[in-house]
Amino acid sequence: MGKQTDVLVIGAGLAGLTAAWQAARHGKKVKVLAKGWGATHWHSGCIDLLGYWPLDADTAVVHPAPAIAQLIKEQPQHPYALAGLDNVTAALSNFQDLCAEAGYPLEGSPEKNWLLPTAVGTFRPTCLAPQTMTAGDLSSDAPLLLVGFAQFVDFYPHVAADNLAQQGIPAEYVMLDLPSLARQHRLTSVVLAHMMEQEAFRQEVAQALQPKLGQAARVGFPAVLGLREATAVWQAMSDLLERPVFEIPTLPPSVAGIRLHHILQDAIQAQGGWVFDGMEAVGSEKDGGRVTAVITETAARNRAHRAQNYVLSTGGILGGGIYASYEGGVHEVVFDLPLNAPDNHLDWFHTDFMDKRGHPIYQTGIRVNKQFRPVNGSEQPLLSNLFAAGTTLAHCEPIRERSFAGIALVTGYAVGKNTIR
Amino acid sequence: MNIWEAQTDIELMPHKPVEASLDECIKCNICMTACPVTAVTDLFPGPKYEGPQAARFRQGQQETPDYSVDYCSGCRVCNMVCPNGVRIAEMNARARATMVEQEKVPLKHKIRNNLIARPETLGKLGQPVYPISNFLLGSGFGRSLAGLFFDIAPKAALPDYTPEKFSKWVQKHEKPAQAKRKVVYFHGCSTEYYEPRVGKAAVHVLEANGFEVLIPPQNCCGLPLLSNGEFAAAQKYYESNIKKLIDYIKQGYVIVGTSTSCTLTLKEEAPELLSFYTDDALLLAGNTFDFNEFLVHLLDAGELRIDDLRPIPLTLAYHPPCQYRAHRIGFPAIEVLDLIPELTIIKSEAACCGVGGTYGYKAEKYEISMEVGRPLFEFIQEVDGPVAVCDSETCRWHIAGATGVPNVHPVELLAAAYGYEVEGPLADVLRQLA
Repeated sequence: MGKQTDVLVIGAGLAGLTAAWQAARHGKKVKVLAKGWGATHWHSGCIDLLGYWPLDADTAVVHPAPAIAQLIKEQPQHPYALAGLDNVTAALSNFQDLCAEAGYPLEGSPEKNWLLPTAVGTFRPTCLAPQTMTAGDLSSDAPLLLVGFAQFVDFYPHVAADNLAQQGIPAEYVMLDLPSLARQHRLTSVVLAHMMEQEAFRQEVAQALQPKLGQAARVGFPAVLGLREATAVWQAMSDLLERPVFEIPTLPPSVAGIRLHHILQDAIQAQGGWVFDGMEAVGSEKDGGRVTAVITETAARNRAHRAQNYVLSTGGILGGGIYASYEGGVHEVVFDLPLNAPDNHLDWFHTDFMDKRGHPIYQTGIRVNKQFRPVNGSEQPLLSNLFAAGTTLAHCEPIRERSFAGIALVTGYAVGKNTIR
Repeated sequence: MNIWEAQTDIELMPHKPVEASLDECIKCNICMTACPVTAVTDLFPGPKYEGPQAARFRQGQQETPDYSVDYCSGCRVCNMVCPNGVRIAEMNARARATMVEQEKVPLKHKIRNNLIARPETLGKLGQPVYPISNFLLGSGFGRSLAGLFFDIAPKAALPDYTPEKFSKWVQKHEKPAQAKRKVVYFHGCSTEYYEPRVGKAAVHVLEANGFEVLIPPQNCCGLPLLSNGEFAAAQKYYESNIKKLIDYIKQGYVIVGTSTSCTLTLKEEAPELLSFYTDDALLLAGNTFDFNEFLVHLLDAGELRIDDLRPIPLTLAYHPPCQYRAHRIGFPAIEVLDLIPELTIIKSEAACCGVGGTYGYKAEKYEISMEVGRPLFEFIQEVDGPVAVCDSETCRWHIAGATGVPNVHPVELLAAAYGYEVEGPLADVLRQLA
């Protein structure tokens, strides 16, 4: 840790962790600074590559690969265009390999999106989904039984079942009130996931469910089927219920997202890299067109972290990488990089809240070149040893495109590779 | 400027008021998944509820809404994972202080808390008659009485008073003749009354690096009182420490401490919780260092003696205490221990040992503290070293009590690697190796 750091990553969302993992697996000394936990814990645990495009389309993208090829042609500044289609597919397959090695396979490919149920029973296009979720695919109309737990207040199977039924998917629900859970008024998703890792508890769940299975061809649980043992727990539940079982991602904090956080963090640490929680980057030092240090806040004084290369993956306005003030200014918090936001606060939004074009402020981010180096107005890199990845980038709308995880993974992968050149 | 010289022209920046951060909470519940207490008991609804949510009902002169905040162990894991920098643990500490102020703590517990939160007083009373106090505190009968009268958990691990106080040893200790630099050592109550071996190792390590070690009279840092909501009493200690230490800083010497919670208190907790931001308080904060943090600064500056470290062929579990992680300086103890040849350190990923300073000594919270620590205890037993390593004293005692594995401070290992004859459990282990 005290030895020379090659790559310092700021931000521990999917983009930062992916960049750090790529650099670490190629022998680089890596340090990740995390203000706190974030994106991964709010995350469905699936990799949404491209769900809606063009943005005003009414139907979801079925085949992401050709849609991305078209997007790259039409939007040459989009992060996918900067990365190129090869990086898109390589990033996905590399990540699939990592998860498979960790015993938690992600299924799917850029050729076709899954259509999985959300926690409120809407349809959700996504590219890669954990094995524990794919039996929920809604291109099949096999009858569903959705399971809730009375003490787990963040999952409402009756709402989801009702919405699915209205959309032509036969769905029932059951709310379990189990003796083992009576100890607590309220359960967090993580506590429930730990309980699911115990065989006795799984038996209890299965026994309570047996008489309620009815016509159900498959059984859906909130995504709490184990934290570190998810695949085994999912398999065990499928065996106990003698039919396919699937998970539905919950409201944050999302156990399925936390699993990806664990897999990446473990992979980084296994290569001798470090992930530091609670370290907020508050500024930087620059000299001669290079970053010379990133400054973090500590209990009593600021501290400088030095490295060869730096990766900025602090997210956008939501993630905290970009600060938007009440007066209408936006600024990037660590390096004070230029942003492509509208100059005038009044131009942030169109007048209609639900405007189909979205709002100009949505595209705010850091402009980068094909190496993902932040650039100035004349496309010149601003700092030669700085890269940016993830949803802090300009010219994309991760939420409306349903490309949040895809952009994070693809740009994190590309940047990680660039730092080892 | 050298790292061991105090900076007296630092920019003095008070924190924002703790409660000002409550609006930063976006209710994402990440803290709820990380809180080790709420994971094991229903008595604590969780950081989000107790901190930023309940804080809205504690504005102005309103009554404190809920006693459950007293079940916060103060580990600060919530702060560390919050994506938005909400000072949750500090809100809880201040809410507890309001409860104390509003006289809502039952008398028996108020007396108990004031007893166990004053290690300096306990030390002054108990250490001179150590054979008697150790006998009483070690006996089932004594502990049953303490349980009966004060609700002090009969099974909680208490340390033994030392026959010779650290400060007595300091008086006898011969300083090396030609020290080229000076540093102030804050030993804290645990080193003074219970584990002087840690202080001796620290002095040796500093002297081995060419320092003259200044050990001025000092008080309890006040943290135990702060975490029991007794803010007025804590402030007395704190102000007294500022008086006793500030002149050293003004002469250019920094403060280093082996107790991570003492140094965190001087750095941040005391001024922040007490809203006590005098110039001297900020100067003390800015010039106080955790021991290993200081060593890593020396290392980075090429000023740490590392060329003649003796090998220690052991594989040991190391738990960075939650109080230590709250310094937000990474894991400097690991950086230092990594320098020792043949020593393998396996870092614990556990959130907290559970003891929370005085928390685990309270009868009503003892079981919770054991449940919280369970993953750590299992980890330590799995690593199966002859000792485990931890920076914080109450954690060491709690972990050792729960696992039966003696615990040492990282500085003891470094002192041994310098060839110093350490005392206590590490000495036994090293003797067997030799």
